[in-house]
Amino acid sequence: MSRQKKSSVAPKCAQNKSSKAERKREKLSFWKILGQGLPLILRLEPGATVVDSALSIAHGISWGVVVWSQQMFFDAASQTAAGQVPFETALWGLLLMVGCSALSQFLNGAGNFHIGAVLWPKQERGVKTMIFRKAARLSPSDFEDTEKLDYINKAIEGAQGAIQMTFIVISIATFYVPYLLFMSWYLFSLKPVLALSILLVFVPTAATQLVRAKVFAKTEDETAPLRRQAEHYESCMVGREFFKETRLWGGFTFFAKLYRETLQNIQRLKYTATMRTNRLELLMRFCTVLGYTGILLLLFDALMKQEITVGAFAAVFNSIGSLYGIMEEIVCRHIGDLSKKIGTVGNFIRFLELPEREGAQREAPGWGDIVLEHVSFSYPHSEKRAVEDVSFTLKKGQTLAVVGENGSGKSTLVRLISGLYTPTEGRVLHNSRDTRELSMQALFKGISAVFQNFQKYQLTLSENISISAPEEAPEEERLSNVCGMAGLEGYPKDGKPTEAFPEGYETMLSREFGGVDLSGGQWQRVAIARGYFRPHNTILLDEPTAAIDPYEETRLYNRFAELSKDASSVIVTHRLGSVKLADRILVMKEGRLVQEGTHEELLSQEGEYRRLYEAQKKWYEEGRGQEGFAESPAQ
Amino acid sequence: MKREKKGHSGADLTADAMSSRKYTALDFLRIPFAACPWQTALTLTNKLIKALVPSLQAAATAAFVDTALSIFQGVSPGGAIAWPLLSLILLVAFGYLSWYADSYASAKLEMKLTLTYRPAMVEKRARLRYEHIENSESWELISRTCREPVERILQGFTSIVDGASLLITVASLLCVLMAQVWWAGLLILLVSIPLFWLSLRAGQKGYEEDKKAKVYNRRADYFQEVLLGRKSAEERGLFGYESYGEKRWGEAFEKARKINLRVTMKYFIRIKSSSLLTVVVSALISVVLLYSLSQGEISTGMFIGLVSAALNLVQTMSWQLGDVMESLAKNREYMKDLTAFFALSETQDPLTVPAPMDSISFESIECRNVSFRYPGTETYILKDFNLMLKKGIHYAFVGINGAGKTTLTKLLTGLYDTFEGEILLNGRDIRSYTQAELKSLFAVVYQDFARYEVTLRENIALGDARKEREEDIRSAAEQMELSPVIDSLPKGMDTPLGKIKEGGAELSGGEWQRVAIARALYSPAQIQILDEPTAALDPTAESHLYELFGRVSAGKSTIFITHRLGAAKLADEIVVINNGKVWEKGTHEELIKAGGIYAEMFQAQRSWYE
Repeated sequence: MSRQKKSSVAPKCAQNKSSKAERKREKLSFWKILGQGLPLILRLEPGATVVDSALSIAHGISWGVVVWSQQMFFDAASQTAAGQVPFETALWGLLLMVGCSALSQFLNGAGNFHIGAVLWPKQERGVKTMIFRKAARLSPSDFEDTEKLDYINKAIEGAQGAIQMTFIVISIATFYVPYLLFMSWYLFSLKPVLALSILLVFVPTAATQLVRAKVFAKTEDETAPLRRQAEHYESCMVGREFFKETRLWGGFTFFAKLYRETLQNIQRLKYTATMRTNRLELLMRFCTVLGYTGILLLLFDALMKQEITVGAFAAVFNSIGSLYGIMEEIVCRHIGDLSKKIGTVGNFIRFLELPEREGAQREAPGWGDIVLEHVSFSYPHSEKRAVEDVSFTLKKGQTLAVVGENGSGKSTLVRLISGLYTPTEGRVLHNSRDTRELSMQALFKGISAVFQNFQKYQLTLSENISISAPEEAPEEERLSNVCGMAGLEGYPKDGKPTEAFPEGYETMLSREFGGVDLSGGQWQRVAIARGYFRPHNTILLDEPTAAIDPYEETRLYNRFAELSKDASSVIVTHRLGSVKLADRILVMKEGRLVQEGTHEELLSQEGEYRRLYEAQKKWYEEGRGQEGFAESPAQ
Repeated sequence: MKREKKGHSGADLTADAMSSRKYTALDFLRIPFAACPWQTALTLTNKLIKALVPSLQAAATAAFVDTALSIFQGVSPGGAIAWPLLSLILLVAFGYLSWYADSYASAKLEMKLTLTYRPAMVEKRARLRYEHIENSESWELISRTCREPVERILQGFTSIVDGASLLITVASLLCVLMAQVWWAGLLILLVSIPLFWLSLRAGQKGYEEDKKAKVYNRRADYFQEVLLGRKSAEERGLFGYESYGEKRWGEAFEKARKINLRVTMKYFIRIKSSSLLTVVVSALISVVLLYSLSQGEISTGMFIGLVSAALNLVQTMSWQLGDVMESLAKNREYMKDLTAFFALSETQDPLTVPAPMDSISFESIECRNVSFRYPGTETYILKDFNLMLKKGIHYAFVGINGAGKTTLTKLLTGLYDTFEGEILLNGRDIRSYTQAELKSLFAVVYQDFARYEVTLRENIALGDARKEREEDIRSAAEQMELSPVIDSLPKGMDTPLGKIKEGGAELSGGEWQRVAIARALYSPAQIQILDEPTAALDPTAESHLYELFGRVSAGKSTIFITHRLGAAKLADEIVVINNGKVWEKGTHEELIKAGGIYAEMFQAQRSWYE
């Protein structure tokens, strides 16, 4: 926030933070970003923007007027001293000057306040809403695409950059330009050659900043990776995830040495760069001093020749300092910032241009068979197909199990069945309607899920469960019902507080926001309750028990079977014993569907299922183990 | 990986400036002085002189204008302007050029502080008792205090120095004024001091409200993360809660915005009222001086010089005073944190490498009536726990989540020693052993094992920080079947792992796991603990890892924590932990025969495969 905020403090600037890699990707031109970014922001809060511009213009001119009023006052005062005018005239002059200064201070305060507390937050609200809505229209698979994800992650920063950029452009147009025009006109009217002083001030400042920006960008490129290393070494010593292990191994000394060396390298680079630019800047500052001297001599000469009054001399002399300050502010802080921000704004614009998920049909397909026809899927930027040529039908009301080793494509398959991902080849049909052609809202009506990476929302228990169907009312009875089904321990049965949930369903499940913390297993049960809460005729359970210990797991699996009687269901697991109850089992291997059938059918054939089953079963056979740990059954 | 005795460059700082005591604002000067005395002194001197520039400039302007006027009136010769002109230029030149000394000093200071203060903070952090790391309250204090520590100190230093020089500037201007019209200075002092005091006091109330706004801001940030994050993409898409989330975000955002609006409004009123006050005061000065001018008591030059100085002060006061006061308040908070941080208790000599291998020969560990609860909590995790562990035996600890299995290993390895009852190592209180001795005894592979982004060799070598044994590193890697991985890496064992270095290689989760186990294998420790290192693997990959580990840990004592009872039954003795106690123990056969919890759990898991 600025516009002559701290003109007395030399602004630190031009520490260009964009790294080499980021700059490489910058293909959007400066003008394109400006041309697209500005209207986006200006459209958001036109009223506040107009108010801001008006305040800004008035503020800019007031700065010039203050100089002029000083001249008036000094002239009156010196004439009073010489006895040329009465005392009152000087007092009027004083009043004028004080009034102008006060007005200028007021405009400064009002303008900065309006920007910082009114305009920016409102613009921020606008752009963020824009970003949320855009993100909602993207396909969930876009969040697995590293390149798109990068734009998504940088969209907020970019939007803030766009607000900054707009601010700078508006400031230059409505504050600095009016101020400089007024000052040039004023100086010119005093003595034409004085208008030159603006140039004398501008050139060295601009030249220094250009060099500075270059050197610092280079240093930044060199130090950024080192800084990341230093941060990593630091967390190796004292980070939460490393602490106990590093202490037990006695690894502190080892990392301390690496840490120190890296810090030394960073500091050496930074120090050398700083001192190099400082020497250059010193030279420029000599020029500035010379320029200053030149202006002083000009003023003196004009004073002697009676071209300007003593008052004008003092007023102009006083304003040179601010002139430098303001120049430095434009060039250093604003133009420097602008060049820094422009890259981030590019990310924002690209985010808004990301292709959205197709599928416009709003009518829900209704409950029916789910059919996969030669479905293949590969993640963006990946040669390998995560799922390859899979076809099968999930009959209405059936229970289907998907098994396979880590990385065999089980989770991807579930995402394709649900319609979260649309296949790169082949078709997925829900009740004979292609998932590609349906809007997400229509498609997901009647589908619920418990995901492997379920979320631990920092919300109340009630909200954590009912977030799966935000339009449904979270009545206590329904909540109790699903909590019971999920086996949540100590759940507030009749909405009454329990030890585990001291505020009943309104218990906040987050330490950070003044609530309680749950164990991993309890969270998993909350996620299961969430899945059940959503009205569904099809439910997908993707390793729904990974965080629950095996003793509890058995119980839950039995309950799943019971509960999915009235719905179609798909359950993914690598615990083979637990899928016996499924109507049909699909066995995945390296993205392909290698076997399918009932448990009995699959066990009776040679193949992946039997191999996996035997490998797991072996551990539970009798008569092993007395030889001790070193003799494992696989030998 | 040699042990260095006094190698830390933070050592000199740690010794005197950094210790457990009360830290005050004065430490913003003390710490830079300790790190870098000459440059700090240079900065101070420089700022001091700079603070005097406005009053000197007022005098020089006075001389210049008066001389110019007298030349103009023909009283003085043209050459008389030379000295006033030169002194004006010198003052301006000083302002612009002294910056160089200043920037040199601050670059040096930043460098020195980064190389001393920052490592000193890290070292203090590393010495803390482990409970502070797991306790969320102290952890928050630690992260808050250690976030950009150098920047915080420099900010504090700058705001103190700026505050002082502002004071000096005002005082010296007043002196110049009083030298001209003594009563005017006094009058202004009398009028302005209470006014400033009032306007500054008004500002301190904004702090609480600001805190409230921060809570809403965090809330809004949280919803933002839910709406845009990758992790929630699946649920967000399927459940379609975007508009609900947007609504909740908007509520939090608006609340924070409205509070901020009020706080900012107050802030501006405060800042601007103090600058308007300065305008009024300088108007007062001008009236007084104008009167003296008309009476011929002061010259036109002196009048212009003083009034100009007063006007310039308005600009300075308008932002700097408010900012300085604001950052002084913030920095006071930081010093409070720093005091609390340095007061956190430390473990005795925690940073040592393990003691020499032959210093202890493990015979037995005995827990006698051990009870333990985490500091600051009420529930006992272990209650009257009794267990005897002997040399050369493979143990398996089983039990449901939260039964206290992992907690027990934290007690054995000395991370916590606030238990009740006794733990006897070779018959002697475990607390009487040094950290180094305990370290030499245990090697642990955790569920959340560390992924050190250094070379593969160094990752394994950390298992024995005493000295590097090239042959053994290789064989540990080979035993964990890492050879194909090593062959595929561009620089073999010396390839940095992870992304932080150029040319680094990313390993898969399973490969990292094998590196972590290789580290434990390489360690000559006599007791190896595996704390569910395979929870994230599928059962097939898991059993393969157990085979590998079982093969290579033969002949050592092992403790093996697992949920998979099929794997547990390979142990010589299975310890079932339940409700903080040893519920039952024995061999697999004995426990099955006994028909207790173990038999029940085993049967439940086995039933999957019947």
